[in-house]
Parts: sequence; structure tokens; C-alpha cells
Amino acid sequence: MSERKTGVYLCSGCGIGEAVNMAALEAVAKSEFKLEPKCHALLCGDEGVGLIRADVEGGVNQVVVGACSSRVMADRFAFNTAMTIRADLREKVIWSHPAGDEDTQMLAEDHIRMALSHAPKVKQAEPWVEGNYSQRICVLGAGVTGLSAAKEAAALGHDVLLVERSSELGGHARLGSKRLPHKPPYDAPAENDLADLIKAVEGNSKITVKTNTTVTKTAGMPGKFAVTLSCGAVEDVGAIIIATGYRPYDPSKLGHLGYGASPDVVTNTQFEEMLKAGKPSRKSNGAAVKSVAFIQCAGSRDPNHLNYCSSVCCATSLKQALEVIHADPTANCYVVYSEMRTPGVAEELYRTAQKAGVIFIKGAVKAVDGDLTVHVADELIGENVPLKGLDMVVLATGMVPNSTNPDAAAQEYGQEQLNADIDPEAPIKVAGYCGEAPATVEKRVQAQPPGGSLLNLQYRQGPHLPVLHDGFADSHYICFPYETRRTGIYTCGPVRRPMDWAEAVEDSQGAVMKAIQAVRSASAGAALHPRVGDLSFPKVNLNQCTKCRRCTVECPFGAIDEDEKEYPQFNATRCRRCGTCMGACPVRTISFDNYSVEMLTTQIKAVKIPDEFSGKPRILIIACENDAIPALDMAAIKRHGWSAHVRILSVRCLGSVSLLCISDALSVGYDGVMLMGCKPGDDYQCHFVKGSAMAAERLSKIGETLKSMMLEPERVAQVEVSIADGERIAGVINTFVDQITAIGFNPFKGF
Amino acid sequence: MSTYDLNFARWVYENVDGGDKMALCMQCGTCSGSCPLGAQMDYGPRKLFMMVRAGLKDKVLESNTLWNCVSCYNCVVRCPRQVPVKYVLHSLGTAAVRAGIPAATKSDNARFARAFWWSASKLGRTDERIVTALFYFSYGLSKGFKMAMANLPVALGLVKTKRMHIGAPYMCKNKGELKTILAKAAEIEARHAK
Repeated sequence: MSERKTGVYLCSGCGIGEAVNMAALEAVAKSEFKLEPKCHALLCGDEGVGLIRADVEGGVNQVVVGACSSRVMADRFAFNTAMTIRADLREKVIWSHPAGDEDTQMLAEDHIRMALSHAPKVKQAEPWVEGNYSQRICVLGAGVTGLSAAKEAAALGHDVLLVERSSELGGHARLGSKRLPHKPPYDAPAENDLADLIKAVEGNSKITVKTNTTVTKTAGMPGKFAVTLSCGAVEDVGAIIIATGYRPYDPSKLGHLGYGASPDVVTNTQFEEMLKAGKPSRKSNGAAVKSVAFIQCAGSRDPNHLNYCSSVCCATSLKQALEVIHADPTANCYVVYSEMRTPGVAEELYRTAQKAGVIFIKGAVKAVDGDLTVHVADELIGENVPLKGLDMVVLATGMVPNSTNPDAAAQEYGQEQLNADIDPEAPIKVAGYCGEAPATVEKRVQAQPPGGSLLNLQYRQGPHLPVLHDGFADSHYICFPYETRRTGIYTCGPVRRPMDWAEAVEDSQGAVMKAIQAVRSASAGAALHPRVGDLSFPKVNLNQCTKCRRCTVECPFGAIDEDEKEYPQFNATRCRRCGTCMGACPVRTISFDNYSVEMLTTQIKAVKIPDEFSGKPRILIIACENDAIPALDMAAIKRHGWSAHVRILSVRCLGSVSLLCISDALSVGYDGVMLMGCKPGDDYQCHFVKGSAMAAERLSKIGETLKSMMLEPERVAQVEVSIADGERIAGVINTFVDQITAIGFNPFKGF
Repeated sequence: MSTYDLNFARWVYENVDGGDKMALCMQCGTCSGSCPLGAQMDYGPRKLFMMVRAGLKDKVLESNTLWNCVSCYNCVVRCPRQVPVKYVLHSLGTAAVRAGIPAATKSDNARFARAFWWSASKLGRTDERIVTALFYFSYGLSKGFKMAMANLPVALGLVKTKRMHIGAPYMCKNKGELKTILAKAAEIEARHAK
């Protein structure tokens, strides 16, 4: 960067000017930082932004804006040739603290100091771009989901490599009869239009289809994946979409529902094939099927089998019953259920089935005899009634995600590895914190699907894609559904969660959008989810590196490997820019252009610490920008004020907080430090998966250090907050401030 | 233990007045909760409907639910699925009588209905004395006599206040036409039953 020229702009709008003394804020910038601030009553307005833009055109390349929270007006204060640093005077000052108060004024001045002090250290981020990037997208699995994904990606101009394990395209849909309704009025089974989809894919020159093929090895990173196929070919792809779908739950485990007792007890998948073949007939004697009982939740929502609801079996049974009745209007269809679950428009199909005379019986199936007598404890009548004279019993079995390849042998790391870095009880293997061995904690027992990995990832975390409990690929159900724990690899369709045909098609579109974002961002050197577009990138000064391997072990995304000399080697595009490596590094040699331990400690030290006679403690809150900062902003918007003695430092993730930040804070006289981050563990909310867990792990080691400094361990705490904690967060802060006040002032104050 | 009659529900859906709508019953229980006579019934309408689906034919047709409905229409008005509950119950009652279910044919309501119908169809009018007499003596001579005696003071009171007349029963003017009308109605009903 050419010579740094910093402009400071203060906004007195939104009541800031009335609540704090603007002249005193200007004086801070002038006297302490030798910068001439410009004040405006409406900085985000055209005139205010014009004021800044004129300066940027005049050569200012760093803009410090003292106005509202960095979470709002980001587009207004974004300039092409200048980077922007924000100092929050609104949400975290005047909206959360009393106007005209001495403490509020001190807080506002400290916010200006924190922003201006580290501004000289911040550099314009330079992206990491090296060599060639592939824009091609690999889709694994050619069922409905995979075919749709391939079609969509090709339609958006990307080459597609479609890999299918079996010899034919279409997956389960190929063997299915009609499909669930997907068009208004959603009240009748629809035609199976798989052939159209297959034709569209096969006829597309952008799509390369490989049947009878599996992936044997995947190396590289987004934009630069090298996928080895079972035929021996090595293909370059930029992103990978997993659309391996599901397999039906193994019915041989459903002996209690009569499977195996009679050939006429079949699963819904088998019955679907019979419907596809024509009018179903009894397997035992070939007679036409006149009365059928569908048993719902066969092995689903049952802790001994599948814990979850597969969400489509109810609608599928309705569809199959309607097909039976359409073929033979005199046929009797029974649906034995505990709860009918017809999400969304499937309710219309339910109504159609009711009108058509399908009989619904609510209750638990006690037994199914070999002569097809179904014993039901009818809940609505309150009696045990046998259902006699049936021709066929259909078990509505659920979906088991193909998170692994069930046909392949388990891989080296096996089932333990599948979940090793998500299990909340699993010790986080940190190399040598204070010389302690990682604690061994009993692991939670989790059933994992057997089989080999889908991609055989050449990652240090092992060959598997991490899965959640129940074996579905790990992703955030609502906020980032397609992201897996491996950057540039996305899941969609029933491998992600149980879903029907129409949902899978939509899901594939979502995953395609993410995959395209992945290949395009990778080649631009920009970060993907959740710091989308971030051009900064961790840089390591190898001269100082002690080869301790903490960064390589702790990176949640396998972005750091070791080279032959055991120095860290970055797989750049796997990186999500959380800074966990930076927080891990004991010699502070990993930093970003615009984010480093030094920048954090500079901000911490910029705060003026009043002496102990003032009666004003200072407490540092290190808050995660993903959840804690928005929650604080929300509390401020609702005017839930908190103590004006706290100073809030925003970080990318608690994982990026080095213990040095905490010891620095205590040694310059802060009376307490609180880390605010997301929920760790099995149902983690951390945007970087392990960051908050890592912070907790590091913090558990700090007690000894504090004792050696003759400080109370209670001065440092970590709390979990979620983005919805706006109502609670002020109370959390105030309680901590009271605790610290009760302990007393930090004896290091003033040294 | 009862057995599901696999064809009963289908038969009800197709042959009972309102039965096709009954297939839409979602077992919310609004009918049973709204019924002022619910406490007098063997089963509320909700449970009865479920028993129909289950195929508990005998229990359904023997139940007093069919006879205790007073046609207040609370259930019909309130049913979220527009099931005409009252019509279904009455129609099931008719079905029970036609099926010769003893509990149905011998119920108080069936006896009264028969007495009422005799008077209405033969005379074109319902005469209280004839209807009550037919009703009482349908229980047999001695029980009928006892019932009549027990109600004698009421009858005398009615006569005294000129609420009941003494003399020949009222009749409609042209019984021949009535007969033709009823014959036509029976013909239409028979046609619909097929």
C-alpha cells in the first residue's frame, strides 16, 4: 500500500450529538492521534458520504467512521480505494447508556481510541491467488437430486462431472411408480417424469456422466480439487456436490412388524416397485391385492431404530393407497399411524385420501401375524382390535442417509473418525498446552452408518465428511444448510435431511448456487461462508514459527497441513478466515492483513484505565462478531442498557482469541475479561464449528497462569450467547460486572 | 374382543346419508364436546365415527348414540370438516333398525318413532293419545298399562286445560292422496338405495 492517509469522520446524528460531547471526541483524535476529524450531522446521508468520498478521491485510503454499529450502513461506508474502520458510537454507546453521563462520554472516547489506535496497523487485504482454478463442478450421485444439480449447474454455464455408483441414472425414482404431488392443486399423485430429467442431462454437452464409477480419492481444495475415480481417471474440479441420497431402512430389523413372517409383508420401496410394474399381487399366491394395511413409522421415531421422522413416508403411503384405490375402487386401504405427518401441501393429498375412503387408524401396532392379522392398540377407540383378512401389509420405512458408501469397507479411521471433531465430549487434541495431556472424557455413543467414505478426502481430519447425530451430513439446518464442514463441498437432497422429490430438486438448486459461489470465490481469492468476500488470508512468518503444530491441529477446516520441514502449509481456499490458527499460535506469527493479535492487543491497550480511586472498574468483553455482537446491537435497539464500565472488542470468532490478549488485558489493569461466543458442542452454533469450543479449552488452562499472577481465576469467564439473546445479554454483563466489583480492583492497575 | 369388519366403513361411506363427508372426519372431537346429550351416550360422535372406520359394526349399530341425538345441530354447525354429524347419526339409526339389530328396534326412540310414524302415515296427523298409546303398549300389555296409569294425571291435566281433546282423532282430509304421496316417496327411496 502506498503511503497511509487516514481520514476520521464522526457522525452526530441519531442523537449521538445530544448524548455525548462531540467536541471532546474530536479532541481525542486531535490530541492523541494527530488526526483532524470531520463532523457531520448525518454522515450516512448523501452529503455525509459525499464528504468522505471527496476525501477518498483526494487521496485518503483509510476511513475511520465513528457512527453506528458496523453491522449497519456497511454499504454506505464502503469505498473502492479505501478501507473502512468503524467505531460504534450509537448502538453500543448512546443507545445502551444514559445520555450526558460521564461514563457514557468515557466509553465513546474509548471507542474512538480503540478504532484509531489500531488503524495504522491495518493493511488493505491482498487476496491469495495462485495458478489455475477449475470452474467445473463434480456431482456425486445421479438420482433426482444429482441429476437436477447437474442440470442446474450446466444451465448456469459450468461444466459438470456427474458420478454415479450404479449402472443407470435415476436412483430410487427409476424404480418408483408415480411421484408425490408437486404442482397445484397438490391433491393427486403426479406422473413420474424422471425420463425427461435424464434426457435433459444426457443431452447436455456440458455434463460428463460416469456410471459404474465411485470416487476413490479426493485431494486439493476448492477451485483445485483432484478427484480420482474408480476407473483410474483423475479429474480437476472446483467444487463438489454430494447428492448420494438415501437408502431405505433395513427391514430385516423390523421382525416385530412382521417383516419376514410372510412374503406379503413388504416395505414401501418394494411396494412402489410392485405398483410400477402394474397391479400389485400377493407374493404368496399371486392373488390380486384387495385390502392393504400401511404401517407408518416402521422403524422411524423409535430409539431402537431410526430416531427421526423421515417426513415423506406418510405422504408416500397416501400416494400408494390412492394408487391402489384408483386401480381397484373396491379395494380397502388402511393406514395405521401414530401421527400423520403431512408437511406443507401434502395435507391436500391427505384430504384426497380421506375422501377416497382410505381408512386411518391411530394406534400402535402390537404384532403382525404370519396370516397378516395386524394387532392394533387403537388409540381413538381405546381397544385392542385385530385387523383381519388383509392381502398385504406395507411397512413405511424411513430414509437412512448415504453419508458413507455402504458397499465399501470402512476406512482406516472408521467410525470414530466420522465424528471425532464434532463429539462434544471428545477431548480436543491440543498440542501441549501448559504441558498437560488432553483430558479423556467418555464419548457419547452414537450409531454411525457403516461403510467407506464417499470422497476419501486427503485431509488431515480424515477421509469422511463429518456427520451429525443420526448420520446426516453436518450442516446448519436453517442458516447454512448446504455447507458441510469441508469448504467447497456441499450436500443436498436426502443425504442432508429426509425430503421428497420436489424438495430435493429445490435443494439441489441451493447447493449448485453455493458450489458456483465456491469456484468463483476461490479463483478470486475471496472467502466463502460465513465471511463471504473477505480477501484477507492468514499469513505466517516462518522465521518465528516453532513448528508447534497447534495451528495445523486446531484449524477446523483442515486448511493447514505441514510441509516436509514440518512448517505450516496453507491450503488457501479451504480457509474460512476465522483466525483460529491466529488464536492458537503461541508466538503470534500468524496474522491477517487486517486482523492480528497485535491489532487486538493495541485496541485493548488503547482504552484509558482509570485508577482504583476513581471507583470505575474496567471490564473487557471479547465478543464474537457473528452472534454476540448482533445480540448486543439488538439489546441496544431495545434500549436494554448495560454497565458503562465494560469495553467491547469485536473478534471474528472466539477461536481467534489468543490467551495473550487476556493476559495483556489483565496486565494493563482491566479488572475482568469476559469472552462472549456461540454454543459449542454437538448442536454447536459456532459459525466456525470449533472456535468457541477451542476458546473454552484454552480458557480452562488459564487458571494456573492467573494464580501465578496472584489474580483470581474468576476474573476471566466465558459465556454462551446466541443471536437471539438480546433480552438476556445486558443482565449477563451486569452480573459479571457485579462479580468483578465484589472481587475488587485489579492490583496491576497503574503499573 | 371385537374384530374389524373391513367393509363396514366403506358401506357406511356409500350408503348412509352424509357418510361420504364422514370420511373427512379428522377426530378433533368438537362434536362430542359440543353435544348436550354426550353424557347420555354410549360413545360420543367422534368415537362412534372412529368405530365405524375401525369396522366395529355391531357395537356401532347397538349403541344408544344413534338414538340420543336431539338434533340440536351444535355438531353440524361447529364441525370444521363440515361433516353433517346429526344426519349421519340418524341415518345410522335407520340402518340399524333395518338391519334388525335388537338394541335398535327395541330402543325407546325406535318404538316412539314407529308409533309416531304409524299415526302420521295412517291419519296424516299425529294424535297424542294414539301415539302415546301405541308407544306404551309396544312394551307389552302390562307394562304399557302401568306406563299409561303413571301418566294419567298428566293426561287429565292436559284435558282440563284444553290441551288435549276428547273425541275422534284428528285426521287429514284426503287420506287417499296421502297414501299416493307416501307410496311415491317410498319408490324414490328404493330407487336411491340402489
